[in-house]
Amino acid sequence: MFDWSSIPIVFPKIVDGLQMTILIAVLGILAGFIIGVCAGYVRTTKSKALSSIAAFYVWIIRSTPIIVQALYIYFVIPRMLDISFNREIAGILCISINASAYISEIVRGALNEVPKGQWEAGYSLGMNKFQILFHLIFPPAFKSMLPALGNQFIITIKDTAILTVIGVAEMTYQAGQYAATSFNLVESYTLLALFYLVVISILTIVLSALERKMGVDRR
Amino acid sequence: MIQVCSLKKQFNNIMVLDDVNIDFNTKEVTCILGPSGAGKSTFLRCLNLLEEPTAGKILYNGKNTLDENFDVRQLREDVGMVFQHFNLFPLKSVVENVMLALVLVKKMPKKMAREKALEMLKKVGLSDKADVMPHTLSGGQQQRVAIARALAMEPKMLLFDEPTSALDPELVGDVLAVMRNLAKEGMTMIVVTHEMGFAKEVADRILFMADGNVVEDASPDVFFTNPNTQRAQAFLSRFIA
Repeated sequence: MFDWSSIPIVFPKIVDGLQMTILIAVLGILAGFIIGVCAGYVRTTKSKALSSIAAFYVWIIRSTPIIVQALYIYFVIPRMLDISFNREIAGILCISINASAYISEIVRGALNEVPKGQWEAGYSLGMNKFQILFHLIFPPAFKSMLPALGNQFIITIKDTAILTVIGVAEMTYQAGQYAATSFNLVESYTLLALFYLVVISILTIVLSALERKMGVDRR
Repeated sequence: MIQVCSLKKQFNNIMVLDDVNIDFNTKEVTCILGPSGAGKSTFLRCLNLLEEPTAGKILYNGKNTLDENFDVRQLREDVGMVFQHFNLFPLKSVVENVMLALVLVKKMPKKMAREKALEMLKKVGLSDKADVMPHTLSGGQQQRVAIARALAMEPKMLLFDEPTSALDPELVGDVLAVMRNLAKEGMTMIVVTHEMGFAKEVADRILFMADGNVVEDASPDVFFTNPNTQRAQAFLSRFIA
């Protein structure tokens, strides 16, 4: 029933896919974090225009499935703008845009949680807005958002699997290709699941070590 | 030093400060008393522009602080503030709390800033707490760190917004002792407080506020023995009783 002899063939294919999964996840999360911090921050400011733009952005992204976003970015936007993306760039765009919408909500919540008195203390000492943001507001906000942010990273890594619909050669795509040609479905998808399990487990351990180091939960 | 002319502050439709006119002089300790909701804290927060006045003028050394070209940041460097809830920086150690603005605002090298900070902590009796985190301190100790933090900037004037109201009664004394010393050294201070004993003993001048205005401006001797207005009499009778 379980064809062990197929494992040595599918294993290296999934390892190839793993590299692509990690590349897209890392770049996607990095870009998503930067966009998310900006979008989350402007929603806590008094600027109505920027805040509305960010809210609109979050609304669009959160209200459509990521698989539709992937199809839209890879097939629709290039046609509308008469340009072409390669699959990987489209994949990174899709992952970072999607993650940024969720991250911006995490950032917004964490920034609002920092007491207003921190701003007032900073201003009363003659500090300017940027000094206060970078020295007094972002550090405690980052600390309090760490658990939610870690959770989002895990979700984002798993979301890369849907890029298989636009033919990005990540793990799920590689396993799927082999399964379809060899009919070793059980072996391919079981190994694929194990790969995700290991990757996410490692990330979980790293994240909880980081939380311990930053003293999350301690006051 | 500071002249307040026809100051008004409105929150939505509520007039919190209604045409306040008052001058503050150098080396004077002023205590602001009054029932809650009188506008005391709002008034104090207008002086370093943490609240933006709705109308009126505040002159600092003759310059209008509400002018577009006025350097608000410089004013705040000159006029320190101590808050009811301390507002220490929770992720920074005690000495880092005191140093931070020296490094960022005064551009002082870190080593010098640390020395200065330690000197200020000594002044408030907390030399031994320099390297602990603020949350390990009692409220009274935290408030003294906040005072050291404000003092490190070498302010020309200090504003205190109910500095002992959030403290357990037995911790109030240490904070008031530090403030008493500052007054003795000639620091210009404006203190919103409910500590009648402190006001009576340390203040050069009492402002009594009610309903968004200063209704009495007197020396403590006159205010506590012979207040002019009925509101002040009623207010004081509650403390004596």
